[in-house]
Amino acid sequence: MCFKNLPVEFDAQGNAHLKGGVADPYAYQPREIKRDKLEELLARNGHIKDVSISPVTRVAGALSFHAVADLQERKFLDANSIATIFRGYEVILKGRDPRDAIYISSRACGVCGGVHSTAACEAIEMAFGISPPPLGTVLRNLALALDFLYDHPLHLFLLAGPDYSQVVVQATSPAMWEKAQVTEAPNAEVHQFKTIGDIMKGLNPLSGKLYLDGLKMTRTPREAYSVLFGKYPHPQTVVPGGMSSTVTITDFNETYTRLQKMIDWTKRMILLWDDLTEFFYEYNPEYKKVGARDANLIDLGMWDDEVSYDASYARCNEWGEARWATPGVVMNGELVTTKLQQINLGLEEFVEHSYYENWTQNGNQRFRTDPSGAPLSPNHPWNKETMPKPSKESWKDRYTWDTAPRWDRQVVEAGCYARIWTTAAAGLMPKNDFMEATGHSLKFHMPKTMLREMDFEWQIPAIWNAFERNRARAYCMGYNLMMAYTMVLKAFDYLRKGEDKVSTKFEVPMGERVGVGFWGAGRGYLSHHLVLDKGAIVNYQIVTPSTFNASPKDPFGNPGPYEEAVLNTPILEDFDKPSEFTGVDMLRAIRSFDPCMPCTTHIYGGEREIVREVNTCACSAEG
Amino acid sequence: MMVLVSGIGYSNQSDLSFGRVLYGQMAEMSWPEHVHVEDLNFGPIMIYQWLEESPVKYDRMVLVGAADRGREPGTLEVYTWDGVLPDAAGVQRCVEEAITGVISMENLLVVCKHFGVLPEDVTIIEIEPQKEDFGLEFSPAVAARAGEAIELVRAEVMKAERR
Repeated sequence: MCFKNLPVEFDAQGNAHLKGGVADPYAYQPREIKRDKLEELLARNGHIKDVSISPVTRVAGALSFHAVADLQERKFLDANSIATIFRGYEVILKGRDPRDAIYISSRACGVCGGVHSTAACEAIEMAFGISPPPLGTVLRNLALALDFLYDHPLHLFLLAGPDYSQVVVQATSPAMWEKAQVTEAPNAEVHQFKTIGDIMKGLNPLSGKLYLDGLKMTRTPREAYSVLFGKYPHPQTVVPGGMSSTVTITDFNETYTRLQKMIDWTKRMILLWDDLTEFFYEYNPEYKKVGARDANLIDLGMWDDEVSYDASYARCNEWGEARWATPGVVMNGELVTTKLQQINLGLEEFVEHSYYENWTQNGNQRFRTDPSGAPLSPNHPWNKETMPKPSKESWKDRYTWDTAPRWDRQVVEAGCYARIWTTAAAGLMPKNDFMEATGHSLKFHMPKTMLREMDFEWQIPAIWNAFERNRARAYCMGYNLMMAYTMVLKAFDYLRKGEDKVSTKFEVPMGERVGVGFWGAGRGYLSHHLVLDKGAIVNYQIVTPSTFNASPKDPFGNPGPYEEAVLNTPILEDFDKPSEFTGVDMLRAIRSFDPCMPCTTHIYGGEREIVREVNTCACSAEG
Repeated sequence: MMVLVSGIGYSNQSDLSFGRVLYGQMAEMSWPEHVHVEDLNFGPIMIYQWLEESPVKYDRMVLVGAADRGREPGTLEVYTWDGVLPDAAGVQRCVEEAITGVISMENLLVVCKHFGVLPEDVTIIEIEPQKEDFGLEFSPAVAARAGEAIELVRAEVMKAERR
């Protein structure tokens, strides 16, 4: 039984049905947000401070954050995460040819390369009843491993990294900086930074070696990606049923060469994040509370097994569990499911505190069940309708353009760390030469290049906080790299056997069809839910990792992950007077999620008419 | 003297796409050998890395773009970029925006200058937009100056040849 809150039970064969005797099984009574006490405290006490950060810098896109801090007690009393722009892709896609979703939804993000294109393709494949030939799947996997090799260093060294740099640490905790300069880094022999202070210096923005190397290192995976897929970040070569690239052994050789270039750098990077994390814990164990939450995580898995994947909903549990990253939900640190169908059934979106109308109030629920006959909530994306309703910002009422996605009505967070966690815990990874999921860890072997061959093991942590998110992301670099490496070797095998087909023919069906792309972005969970009829999109719903992480409070009174992480964060920085307060601990908590907010503003002013657009996508040469 | 020519902007933003659209037109034209017309809309960080690796070192850059500066719509101005960088925090902000997907003339110039790959001489040919909404077409005031803007680019690159 994976659900605690939803009214769904499973029989001995694993078939889901609604619990008997419940008149309106998905009904709920929204809880009111009470702020009277807080308002009183704010009015009465000088040390209770309203903290508004708008925009939060060093994140992708438009995020604002409001918190109430008690500077005397050194804690946060309230937190509100605010997505300040409306994406509206769901509205734009209505009525279009489903294939448009691949190229239009891709523009939802200017950082990730092709993750939305691929999720859209998988949704279309399910709806069309097609799947790629083996090399097509391998190629797709390779693309989305290369993408993350760009994405993770960008976060670790350019976005979150500066929070741990000399300039920030020296200003907010001078005693720690003193200590860091005389603390030897345990893994200095590999990463070549003698002290923790040297690592912090390396993280200084614009001038530090790690910052500059991180910037430089984003180039190599992007080059490899472009060799295989034409361009980054919006490939034109991701098509339903595979890829439209023509690939040769030379292309894979070029990719292989670039992967080799990244191996030693990745070894160093993992170990220096280990050293940095342990230093903070040792300096002050209170840092373990920065960004802390219960380990409640969600991931859809990704990187399909080329033999098992047939895109069907009926077999999604089988091909999902065969993936190179295993789907899963973790509640309180325990893996509660690895079945894609269960993850899908548990998903609901709520808009009580968002600038949207509640679509369930019109009483027309499009789907009572999923394609396998299992019960589906009216709040499920297949039933959702995007109905923007701009209104005044109010912490008690509505304050964000983000929705509140929940799983089994519980708050879960998404991230590459969820992916490595569910994969490690499930122990289902296909057998291969480089990686092994043990049930409590993910081990990977990195071959010799200039540095010796090395073995790494990411252990499922006992605590969950900002530092563990960053550490896990560093280990994900190794996981992604060896995943890409494995896919290149597989591609060589297929080409050697003469199996060079990468796409499948298809026709657009005219009847009503549904599909879902269960996939992942650099920052974790990504789903595209699709409904087609008469060859056109009737409904399209995207849930991204930041939809989960940046979400507002839900109707059950639970704060979203950023909000909860900030509420659990102690204020550890040094300051004598309120004007010296920088909020660095809060920012460390928020940035550890690698926020990626919607990249494009589309304000809807009529049927598919965009009346204002502020586009921040690196859309490269659009045709 | 080698000259790099481009137009900067997003697609489908009416007058704000002036640089992007004119780049497309210029890429189809014949230019003297010392002039390279390139798409520089694929992200300032990638462009700085591309310039750093490029075997051709450019002495001059001529860029076309649109900027809302409160002038009469359709006003076309030619000026030399002063090359003044913002403070370190401002540069860092440009880098952050660039890596997270923002494309703009300012970001491109600041990032490339900071990393030491920008040619010494940068000329900007800039139009005052009227229509900034989504759209494939320029407003009449801007459309009327498109040909002239390309002629200005041509005049600028020929100045370079004479040097």
